[in-house]
Amino acid sequence: MAGLDLGFFLFAAITACIFAIMALGLYVQFSLAGLPNFGHVAFMAVASYAMAILVVRLSLPLPLAMLCGLLVAVALALLLGIPCLRLRADYLAIATVAAGEMVRYLAMNLPDLTGGPLGSMAMLGPDQVAFYNLGWQAMLDRVAAGIAHVTGTPVSRDAAAALIVFVVMLLLLVFFARLEHSPWGRVLKAIREDDVAAASVGKHVVAYKMQALILGAIIGGLSGMLLALQIGVFSPDDYAPTLTFYAYLILILGGMNRIWAIPLGAILFSLLYTGTRFLSFFPLSLFDSGSRAFLRLFLIGLMLVLFMALRPQGVLGDRRQLLLEK
Amino acid sequence: MVHVLAQLIVNGLITGAVLALTGVGATLVFGIHRIANFAHGEYLTFAAYVGLVINVGLRQNIVVATVGAVLATATLALAVHLLVLRPLRGRGLVAMSLITVGIGLMLRDLLFLIAGPQISTLGIDELRVYDLGLVRISPGQSVAIVMTLIVAPATGLLLSRTAVGKSMRAVADNRDLAAIAGIDIDRVGAYAWIFAGGLAGIGGVLFAVVQGTFDPNLGFQVLFLIFTTVVLGGIGSAGGAMVGGFVLGLAMEVSTWEGLAGGLAPKYKPVLAFVVLILLLIYRPQGLFGRARIV
Amino acid sequence: MLLEVVDLSKTFGGIAAVSHASFGVAERSITALIGPNGAGKTTMFNLLTGLIRADSGMIRFAGRSIERLRTDLVARAGLVRVFQSPRILTRMTVRENMMLAAKDQPGERFGMAWMAPARVARREAEIRAQAENLLGLLRLSHLAEAFAGTLSGGQRKLLELGRTLMVEPRMILLDEPMAGVAPVLAEQLLEHVKMLRAQRGITVCIIEHDLDLIMSVSDHVVVMDEGTVIASGSPAEVQADGRVIEAYIGRLDAAVVADAS
Repeated sequence: MAGLDLGFFLFAAITACIFAIMALGLYVQFSLAGLPNFGHVAFMAVASYAMAILVVRLSLPLPLAMLCGLLVAVALALLLGIPCLRLRADYLAIATVAAGEMVRYLAMNLPDLTGGPLGSMAMLGPDQVAFYNLGWQAMLDRVAAGIAHVTGTPVSRDAAAALIVFVVMLLLLVFFARLEHSPWGRVLKAIREDDVAAASVGKHVVAYKMQALILGAIIGGLSGMLLALQIGVFSPDDYAPTLTFYAYLILILGGMNRIWAIPLGAILFSLLYTGTRFLSFFPLSLFDSGSRAFLRLFLIGLMLVLFMALRPQGVLGDRRQLLLEK
Repeated sequence: MVHVLAQLIVNGLITGAVLALTGVGATLVFGIHRIANFAHGEYLTFAAYVGLVINVGLRQNIVVATVGAVLATATLALAVHLLVLRPLRGRGLVAMSLITVGIGLMLRDLLFLIAGPQISTLGIDELRVYDLGLVRISPGQSVAIVMTLIVAPATGLLLSRTAVGKSMRAVADNRDLAAIAGIDIDRVGAYAWIFAGGLAGIGGVLFAVVQGTFDPNLGFQVLFLIFTTVVLGGIGSAGGAMVGGFVLGLAMEVSTWEGLAGGLAPKYKPVLAFVVLILLLIYRPQGLFGRARIV
Repeated sequence: MLLEVVDLSKTFGGIAAVSHASFGVAERSITALIGPNGAGKTTMFNLLTGLIRADSGMIRFAGRSIERLRTDLVARAGLVRVFQSPRILTRMTVRENMMLAAKDQPGERFGMAWMAPARVARREAEIRAQAENLLGLLRLSHLAEAFAGTLSGGQRKLLELGRTLMVEPRMILLDEPMAGVAPVLAEQLLEHVKMLRAQRGITVCIIEHDLDLIMSVSDHVVVMDEGTVIASGSPAEVQADGRVIEAYIGRLDAAVVADAS
């Protein structure tokens, strides 16, 4: 089959891991705390832009810039959360998607800061092409060299990247899986179903929701930065609201209330996402590469509707524990 | 200065009219079905493309194209309601919102696949610009004015004088009370989608006509303006949406006037709408005319 | 007085739900809050627990002003409320419902499960034992692993009571605990209420409509009508109070007239 080579698999694997991290950020906000954040992409956008701007304009070392990116995401979470956390579910959804669009819009229209519609490449003005991920690529080379040294076989940059993002994803999943089953997770579970009941037994509801929002922002911001680093270039259109709904679909596919279903959801999603891009067998061959993007989005919309309608608990979820009727 | 302001006011009123008409339909379905329809913008896009097919493809005039768009979009809205939204009612606000997002994605990308990403124009005589001294009205705007002058009063009459209109408003205002009064909620709900779809049909064509050019992203661009209009007027209040649309249209245009401390740069007009929407949701979700409901 | 309400008022859109109400609840007492429907009793409970904020007036609990306090802080101060329709968490098991409510859980702080696992585990074990104990008392032990959503109405009431006890409150507000409950279970609930005061020294304030029940179990009765406190005293005093009879009979008369026409 045309297209199914190692390069494809590595790309799919990297995409799957990064999207899994993105979905985990949403999981903490939505599945754990019950916050329907439809603007998750905003955290990815502000972190990536902050990181890129700091590297390109202020020549900050990449690790420091990434840390600042996370801080900016946290700042956005606070800015959004303080007024919006007490909103009713659908109002929160609308407010968050509006906020996300505002971020994208500002990124598009402040070219001196963000490079405007051309994106990260234009950050230093029209005469110079700006790169921010040289540090990342250098690190990947070192890691690849190290692995090759140990195993004796040559390892590509992409393979190194896949390993790194896989490990990051795994660590985050393990970290949050334990927390989910701790008393902290129990309070969130209670708040999710009935915050008045939770408050009546002494739990500070707003504080917990804010924690979830901030944690989700940090994880989401990290995923945004990893994606930006791996691809090397981005523009405001890469942070359209659809990205948030990729995350929702990943959660829905795997099982909205099972944290270990996230990797499964991410793999299924990644197959859909990268498959439509690279694979060429029938019926995909009917669509040219330009149309593939639209086909992909159409299928994503279709999957959203089908799964929400027919199997909202996803592949691995538990229907009894599903909490959507609010 | 005054010249510019007058033009801005005219522009604002026209944009406002389109928002108002679309908003009336949207607010009724949002109020009756308690759903935030993230696909509503795509209904407008659909309407614009149906209009395109009839107007440019079948070489009919703009009025015929609009009628066609109205019928097609009303049918679409009803179909989505009967096939997807009604059977899945009761899943909860978030689930329904995600479903409408999915429907929107499907509609938009289907249009991209069928019609392609290139921009299109509806066939309006581009040469006839009306110069009224103080202001100039583009052909697109004049079409919009004429259509609004016909449709708006008709809509108003439908809502205030006919049984269908009154029952839609009653259910949007207070569902339980309407049920007790014997109104068939289910049937009214279906009518509301037909009505909203029809208005979206007009709205889509008018947006395309006023903007001049459009592509399948049209609906997505206006979705937030529609949400803002609906929330501004109070969800479920048709009169409120009518006023809210004009207020929003005017606010967006007039805010760029230099007389207002330099004015807002035109590219930030949508940001104004976003900010208004978020502030409303936080501080006054019942909008200008709705009643404060205890959630 | 463990709880003192002074001149409390709350208006909703023109209607005075509570109007200059004042009363006190003595420590270790069982005090009944009675009155015709719409008298403002449940609103009073909502005001006491911080679910709504009063327009004016003062609430003192254990010497502290609590009228501006958030609900969770009121609960942590020792004043906990049981709802009329049990607000149990249906997607959690009975045991989880109970364990949720325990006080002083270090594991509830973010990250503690990783940073101090031994301490968290120890406290969890203690809480588990406490929950098991209470479930035993409430005769719900056999349901510990069941999802709370599968419980019957009466069982839910017991669970909510148990959950409340996990918070180790000084005072419990019971909002119509016997409503819609089978007589056998009502008996049980009553026993638990009496035991609360006797064995744990918990003060109880109870909204109820069953006047016989109230008269038999309460030390003190507070009567509300149309948002204000019209009488307060021992059950006997209140029963004989003309204004109280007026308030109830007045309703009765209107109902009789309405029926007849």
